[in-house]
Amino acid sequence: MTKAPPITNRVRDLREARAMTQADLGEAIGVTRHTIIAIEQGRYSPSLESAFRISRVFGVGVEDVFGWKE
Amino acid sequence: MPFREKSAWMMIAALCLASAGYAAIVVNMSQGLERLAPPLIPLIVVFTIAVFVLTVGSHIFIAVLAPKDANASADERDRAIAARAGAMSGSIFSTGVALALGHYLIVRDGDVLFYAVFAAWTLAQVSEYAFQISLYRRAL
Repeated sequence: MTKAPPITNRVRDLREARAMTQADLGEAIGVTRHTIIAIEQGRYSPSLESAFRISRVFGVGVEDVFGWKE
Repeated sequence: MPFREKSAWMMIAALCLASAGYAAIVVNMSQGLERLAPPLIPLIVVFTIAVFVLTVGSHIFIAVLAPKDANASADERDRAIAARAGAMSGSIFSTGVALALGHYLIVRDGDVLFYAVFAAWTLAQVSEYAFQISLYRRAL
């Protein structure tokens, strides 16, 4: 089985804090709800463009949403 | 389950059903002829129609169950999965064709060449959908 990418994220925490659904966030950044689920579960690292879109939706910096697991 | 993963399952089922039916007919014909039955255009046409009907029918079924998912265009993850699965299945197809051509150089049997390439194509198609399902379920 492929290892999960070493990129961590706080997408679920930030989304839930804003009472957004996975479908809402997916629609806001132009991906499907299933892709948001995969991002939150650490099974998919979004493109740089989507990472910026996610951080802009939450009104925070990219580094506040995504991190690197050493 | 994403719509495209459901679609991949349906494509595998359609291809396996149609291929199994086609293989069964060729085996029966070959037993009657006591040699490998040659490829026949009507059989290929029936195979193509069977795959088309099974594919369209199954996709209508899954689209009715989840119309919103069915209408959604592919996103970046869908495209990445499709590209990776396509690359992996392409290797299977090219290997199968190379083996079929090698076999033809030795045996010089065009019927076997046809069936070998046909089998390589079917295997590559089924593998592509299987790879897609696998990639939807694990880390990408």
